[in-house]
Amino acid sequence: MRHSGLHASLFVLSLTLITSAHGQDKRISGDFQGIPFSQLVSKMAAASGYTFYYDPAETDSLVIHVTVEHATLPELLDLVFRGTDLHYAIDPAGRVFISKLFVIQTQLPAEATRQDGPPISIPGDPTQKQEEDPSSKHILKAIEENKLIEIGRKDGKALQGKATLAGYIRDAKTGEAIVGASVYADSSTRVVITDQFGYYSLTLPRGRHVIRISSQGMKDTRRQVLVYGDGKLSVDMQEFIASLKTVIVSAEKTSNTRSTQMGVNRLNIKTIKQVPVVFGETDILKVVLTLPGVTSVGEASNGFNVRGGSTDQNLILFDEATIYNPSHLFGFFSAFNADVVKGIELYKSAIPEKYGGRLSSVLDVSMLDGNSKKWTGSGGIGPLTSRFFIEGPLVKDKTSMVASVRTTYSDWVLRTIPNNAYSNSTTGFSDANLRITHMIDQKNSIYVMGYFSTDHFNLNTDSVYHYSNQNGNIKWKHIFSNKSNALITAGMDRYQYSVSDPRSGTSAYKLGFDINQTYLRADFNYLPGNKHIFNYGVNSIYYKLHPGSYEPVGAKSLVVPNTVAAEQALESAIYAGDQYSVSQKLAINAGVRWSVFNYLGTHQEYEYAPGFPKQTTTITDSIFYGSGKVIKTYAAPEIRISARYQLGKDASVKASFNTTRQYIHMLSNTVAVSPTDIWKLSDPHIKPQQGLQYSLGYYRNFSANTIETSVEVYYKQIGDYLDYKSGASLVLNHHIETDVLTTKGKAYGVELLVKKASGRLNGWFSYAFSRTFLKQDDPLAGESINNGKYYPASFDKPHNVNFIGNYRFSHRYSVSLNIVYSTGRPITLPLSVFQLGGTTGLFYSERNQYRIPDYFRTDLSVNIDGNHRIKKLTHNFWSAGVYNLTGRQNPYSVYFTQENGQVKGYKLSIFGAPIPFITYNIKF
Amino acid sequence: MRSTIMQMINDMRNMSRILLAGFLVLYLGDCKQAYEPPAIRGGNDYLVVDGFINVAPGSVTTIDLNRARRLSDSTAVGIPELNAQVAIQSKGGSSWPLQDAGHNGYYVSQPLTLDISQTYRLSVTTADGRKYLSDPVPCKPTPPIDSITWSQPNDLTFSISTHDVAAKTHYYRWDYIETWQHDAALQTPWGVNNGHIYATDSTTQRSHCWTVLHSTQVMLDNTSALSQDLVDKFPIYTIPFGDSRLDIKYRIHVRQYALTSDAYSYWLQIQKTSQGLGTLFDLQPAQLIGNVHCLTNPAEPVIGYVSASTLQEDSLFLYNTNLHYWTHNSPGFGCDTLGIPADPNDFSNYTYADTNWAPYYFDGPTTLILASKICLDCLELGGTTTRPPNWP
Repeated sequence: MRHSGLHASLFVLSLTLITSAHGQDKRISGDFQGIPFSQLVSKMAAASGYTFYYDPAETDSLVIHVTVEHATLPELLDLVFRGTDLHYAIDPAGRVFISKLFVIQTQLPAEATRQDGPPISIPGDPTQKQEEDPSSKHILKAIEENKLIEIGRKDGKALQGKATLAGYIRDAKTGEAIVGASVYADSSTRVVITDQFGYYSLTLPRGRHVIRISSQGMKDTRRQVLVYGDGKLSVDMQEFIASLKTVIVSAEKTSNTRSTQMGVNRLNIKTIKQVPVVFGETDILKVVLTLPGVTSVGEASNGFNVRGGSTDQNLILFDEATIYNPSHLFGFFSAFNADVVKGIELYKSAIPEKYGGRLSSVLDVSMLDGNSKKWTGSGGIGPLTSRFFIEGPLVKDKTSMVASVRTTYSDWVLRTIPNNAYSNSTTGFSDANLRITHMIDQKNSIYVMGYFSTDHFNLNTDSVYHYSNQNGNIKWKHIFSNKSNALITAGMDRYQYSVSDPRSGTSAYKLGFDINQTYLRADFNYLPGNKHIFNYGVNSIYYKLHPGSYEPVGAKSLVVPNTVAAEQALESAIYAGDQYSVSQKLAINAGVRWSVFNYLGTHQEYEYAPGFPKQTTTITDSIFYGSGKVIKTYAAPEIRISARYQLGKDASVKASFNTTRQYIHMLSNTVAVSPTDIWKLSDPHIKPQQGLQYSLGYYRNFSANTIETSVEVYYKQIGDYLDYKSGASLVLNHHIETDVLTTKGKAYGVELLVKKASGRLNGWFSYAFSRTFLKQDDPLAGESINNGKYYPASFDKPHNVNFIGNYRFSHRYSVSLNIVYSTGRPITLPLSVFQLGGTTGLFYSERNQYRIPDYFRTDLSVNIDGNHRIKKLTHNFWSAGVYNLTGRQNPYSVYFTQENGQVKGYKLSIFGAPIPFITYNIKF
Repeated sequence: MRSTIMQMINDMRNMSRILLAGFLVLYLGDCKQAYEPPAIRGGNDYLVVDGFINVAPGSVTTIDLNRARRLSDSTAVGIPELNAQVAIQSKGGSSWPLQDAGHNGYYVSQPLTLDISQTYRLSVTTADGRKYLSDPVPCKPTPPIDSITWSQPNDLTFSISTHDVAAKTHYYRWDYIETWQHDAALQTPWGVNNGHIYATDSTTQRSHCWTVLHSTQVMLDNTSALSQDLVDKFPIYTIPFGDSRLDIKYRIHVRQYALTSDAYSYWLQIQKTSQGLGTLFDLQPAQLIGNVHCLTNPAEPVIGYVSASTLQEDSLFLYNTNLHYWTHNSPGFGCDTLGIPADPNDFSNYTYADTNWAPYYFDGPTTLILASKICLDCLELGGTTTRPPNWP
């Protein structure tokens, strides 16, 4: 070094005289062939007047073959160092620093990496300030990304073995934890995903690494680390603001091909909000329905179907609370207020072993932690709803909260419609969310959530429908060490619904149902090394269901009370799994979950004559079980295996095998609206449903990973799925086993997805071909559905096409387009009326033999952001558009009714005309 | 912080006031449309085979052949299937034809004595040449009805008891025919024909009427789960308290059929499908698969389940006075009368224009007292004036 330094010092003076300052403007020409680096340095120094500092040992193997014509020094150096791990930095004083692996900083950092624990960054780090001056952001980012962070204690020994890095990934602006961010080192294909608290843990060989962090909607970032031992590395990410003039080429967005998970869809709230929806209200479930493999039975129906599963086979978790009815206003709105939602994850095939109790999927909706830095809020006004939302730190950087309320004034809207059918109807809903996040210390944090929703409606009749979700839980996250952490959750969920007719005097009634569950979960993670991540834990749910009570309302009512006895059960599970990185290319996730279900007293159980169909006439006895008595126990293992094999840089194949069990069943009378659905626990007569799924997928990224594509195929078997006997009556049935029969099902399909997550034009296109068939396999059903052949399930919809597109004209204006097509769902039609044995009956087709008309809809919306001035008190946001642009009268329901001795069919379409909407949102 | 939030809320309020005014009135469209897919528009006139093979010695088998109607047809009965060739066939190859003597779709056999150890089936060839055949069924002797009983208070419930000592029956179906007498509130010897008053006799009287009604529900019971083949007071029919059918005299005639377990399942589905439509408590549609098949087109559905059994019948009579506190309309209750001058030249001449009134009695030679027709003519409330056989 001294040698070149001497050289340089000789020329600095002279060149300064010639070029008068701006050394970088100096052009260099020449043909440098086969010369060593040191020789080139001499020549450049001579020509440009720069001083070069470098370690000859790092550069002695470098032989130069470069021809330049009138090049600047950076241009020349770029050429010289192309394909090497050498970097350079030029300071204003004309000094050039050559370094291996990292870039030397020529300025003092203005902001240091956030610290969570013991010394992790360069000793003497001058500042911890989190000032946000946008003009300096770029520089800050560059500095953070290039600074070498030393992790662990430097003990002077050789860097051997492994160390574990752990920490939180957060949003730099709000302090919000980022869920589902990918964290990985350049040196390994191991990708870890941050958990629901933004926490990750990554084991690496000791030494130099570049850690890359990417998450949807956030700017990719990286950290240079020198790992001496275990330590903490928390990273704040910047929000991704679409740059309109440049193309973002991202080498890092490979998480979909690298992740070992398959059949998972992750969306953050920003993406969800771009999708146009009716009345301009951001709707989580509507967006979920656009994902491949997800369908719904009707336009505004409760719930969704995943890969040929029924609506009750989805575990819908809202910040760990189970939501039984995820919809408002009989399906027009989702029960999740988008203001407090951080994002969603939908598991369709490889369901992590920590989840259980449902056959088809897990939809995990995560909730915001609350801005830990400052108080902010927002309000929204739409034609049907208004919302208010506030978040902020109760104690800065320690305790934060989020609260939101949403309510309708739809009664007012309905009354203005000049049609009695509407103006005599009432409908409305409201919901409220609260979440408090408290970081006790580095190792412990507490999260408390509460959710409440309520709905009521009556549609030009005297019957008033009402339902309500009430949920609350508390979570304690404890970090034992970088390698091990635990999450303990305790909570209660309640879903109640009722139909009442309080006005009609002597026949005034209330029909009520509810589900209550209390749960305790303990989930542990253990990461002993780079190769394994162990997950294990136990969980338990105590159910108490009231499957129906029919009661008089008011003194005049002559209704005779009729109550179906309460049911109770305990569902417990113990699970363990390992995410094993076999090699750079092959990774395997394998887990097992042992679930046990105890059906408990108090209960009156009917006995049926063996070998005969279960009918009221074959009841032989009834046995009474006292409180807490275990009446029936079901237990079985559930296997969860998936594997990924990397094919080159941009592609991978994944396969999975899954078995699942479900102990709670929804019995739904498909003709009527949801508050009459009956939930039923497995009992001695009703066996748990069993699911089994094989799936295989190919993932490929194009155009520097900006376009993600995937193809997944699956084959599923379903056992002991409940279908209904002909003429089954579900409401207030004291022996429901006499009206149901078990079927076995099979489902198969292909899902294609093309997704462009960033750029001016972004969105996705999905196509799914999926079939679901059921076959009665209950020898004692007493009847044979479709002659014992396979028949399409009521939610079998073979073709589904979704397009979601968003085009940004500028930072303020964007247009979103949404196109949906699906095959109409199957229906059993009454074909004719007959007279037999004095009775008039309807002759129905084979079950689900016909289909209602196909569904097609196009929505368009224009989104206008207010100006982007930072100092403005409030920010506003307009959204205007048209729902169902083509005005197609898609059927919402098809039903038959008897009128003047004739049986008449009706098709009800709810949004049978283009519906313009406009929404205004305000943020402060 | 608090003051900032308050200020923002105020801002929002102002903003919302402006915005509300600007909202578009929603147009939700006329959302209910008739739904008539091609599948239900027509052509579903499936053959209905209603009846059973009566295997009691010397008995007659009656089979009603008709066609199912379109959903939009409002006629109450099926369209009779005429000119078909119907026959009972035994496993042994014998055949007994049924004739449609009345040309009304009712095909009747000669009195037959069939060997009950055989199996039988029904063959139908329609006028257009389509062939239908039922599955062979065994003969199930029906045990006699032990009793028909009634019970109160308030609503009147008829129950049936029967048993099979051999414990071979297990599956029972019943139907019934109810007959009740309903008299005119006011009795008159006079009738009117073509503007002439005349004295009625037993064939033209309008004072006593009887209505006969067949059951419209399917009544079934199953004793297979019991240790004995015993039906003990199975409720088959309930009449609401005070119903006018028991105003005077009432008879229920119950017919009992033994079924095989398959036939029972079929009737159970009929029982379910015949219940209400379009209500909150809608039932799952039942798909009926009977035991009659079309040979010409195996995919063509046929409605009906042909069983072979004997028939057991019994009746129960009830007088209004047998019942506990059942209402009985006193004569003339609620009836208006009106006096008009009688035609002095020809008292039988009747020209009163309002047909809601009818002659009641002559009050002397000059005055004819009229009463509402509904009070005088029991046929106004339906039924027949012919006294049913064996009516006490």
